[in-house]
Amino acid sequence: MVAVIIITGICLVSVYISYVAFRKGFTKNADDYFVAGSSLGYFVLIFSLLASFLSAFSMFGMASFGYRLGYGSLYVLTANLVPLGFLWYFMHKKTFLLGRARKWMSMGAPFGERYGTPMKIILVLVVLVASIPYVVAQIQGIGVMLEAMSEGLISFHMGLFFVPFFIALYLMMGGMKGAAWVNAIQGVFFSVMVFVLFFFVMMKNGGFIPTMDLVMAKHPTLFQLGWAGGKVWSYPMIFGMASAMCLGCVCFPQPYMHAYSSRSARGLKAMFLSFGGICLVVITLPTLVGIAGNIIVPGLKGVAADKIYGLVASATMPDWLAAFAVAGGFTAAMSTVNGLVFGNATNLSVDIIKTLRPETGSSELIGLARIFVAIIMAICVAIAWNPNTPVAELSIIAFGTVAVTFFALWGAYYWKRATATGAILSTLVGVSLNVGFFFAGGKAMVLFPQASLFQLNGFLAAFIISGIVFFVGSLLTTPGKTETKSLKLFFHPILTQ
Amino acid sequence: MASNVKKKKNALFLIVFLVLTVLCWCPIGYGSYGEVGLIMGMPSWAFILLLIGAVLFVVEWIYLFCTDLALYDEDLEEIKAALHATITEETILEEN
Repeated sequence: MVAVIIITGICLVSVYISYVAFRKGFTKNADDYFVAGSSLGYFVLIFSLLASFLSAFSMFGMASFGYRLGYGSLYVLTANLVPLGFLWYFMHKKTFLLGRARKWMSMGAPFGERYGTPMKIILVLVVLVASIPYVVAQIQGIGVMLEAMSEGLISFHMGLFFVPFFIALYLMMGGMKGAAWVNAIQGVFFSVMVFVLFFFVMMKNGGFIPTMDLVMAKHPTLFQLGWAGGKVWSYPMIFGMASAMCLGCVCFPQPYMHAYSSRSARGLKAMFLSFGGICLVVITLPTLVGIAGNIIVPGLKGVAADKIYGLVASATMPDWLAAFAVAGGFTAAMSTVNGLVFGNATNLSVDIIKTLRPETGSSELIGLARIFVAIIMAICVAIAWNPNTPVAELSIIAFGTVAVTFFALWGAYYWKRATATGAILSTLVGVSLNVGFFFAGGKAMVLFPQASLFQLNGFLAAFIISGIVFFVGSLLTTPGKTETKSLKLFFHPILTQ
Repeated sequence: MASNVKKKKNALFLIVFLVLTVLCWCPIGYGSYGEVGLIMGMPSWAFILLLIGAVLFVVEWIYLFCTDLALYDEDLEEIKAALHATITEETILEEN
């Protein structure tokens, strides 16, 4: 019951914050609604970007990874994300500068201006298709958690409606500003709760080093690379997973939306830099909690290990504090749904509707974005209805699918010879390969090194081939009118100083 | 001259970023399969990984906030004005 009260409280506070943004008039025109009038300060930006990426997987999934696979899990979502500080800066500096000058509001805008409308529409559809399974996985996670935390008081299916209803409400009401405020508060909340949980779990056995000594004595393989005959945490496996997660992050809608919303260059840099630094600490802790879980709640196998985060919280903390710790992971899932649904609703209304009907007014666009929020949420709840849908597996390819737009983005900003044909072909080939690999060999083919792919995993193979197609496709075709016209602005001398 | 120095500094940072990124993505040079010693309760390669992550974070900080290579708020007005001039020029050309 305590857990239900805490979660309902979090939902109500989130809606209230968004209501404040609405009442203060931060959703009056399209610029305010979609990019918060480019007014977000660095504190809100940092935690909003963090929360919009860190999902239930970052908390519960990483604890489960640590429990089952040990220290090698640190290559999945911790130090491997630190390069985002410079990768995001290089890739999105022009998004920020040109976005301000051109009043961009969606991630399709740079692609549309540089390569033309077909590429803009393809990009929006690719991102939407890749995002839906990921959002569904979060909503399913919310349903499962809510059922477990309420001890069956709220059923899985009721949970699917309960929280998404609140998320849709605060997204529709508060726009980007409301969503960013909510994200920021949720981000701070789950970061703090991870520290509290880590402290309690490690103190249970006299501190971090004594705890790890106990784990080492019972499960030495958790401290090794290349165990299970070189299969688990081999170097190719590590490289494939680490690079996939990092490169995928560059291409999701969140960094675009936050770059447009930043008030200052300082805020933009602080946001990009802090993300990796905070992940290095905040996601390392649940991973270590999962490893320590082996001596607190031993013997969990397979899917049962996914509950380790909640189980160690219950075993080491007072009930009410354990409920807060689990609610931290719950808010991480909420904020990821929030960021992806809002990003996609913005893309659909600004990049598709406004392109097809240029006369669409500002208030009409806001209305349409609100409708898209409701539609995307309804579709995701419908797909999530069957808990056996393999969306968790499909969500793994989401990062790989989105990452293939990396070359088109890089070419837009840094290669004058890039053409629309190269960008479109590379995106379509990359997406098709990711989907093809998944259907041919399941998630193992996408994630784990394959002898048939020269020890690359499906993601890296698709990424590299997509890059080759981009360069060859661009060199074999001539830049059209749109590409040539865009050079003046995208390669303005002031941007290269 | 100043632009050349800037280019060289940029290239140097880029090389450092790339090397540290590879190390954050793969334990080449500091990891090994099988049994391993512990540093502060962690396997030595995990400790070094976190250390490399922290070093990359600091280098990124230096690049973004302590050099003349990154974007600063003082430059924004000039950039904005130059971009607006180009946009206006293009609009006039299109209208004609």
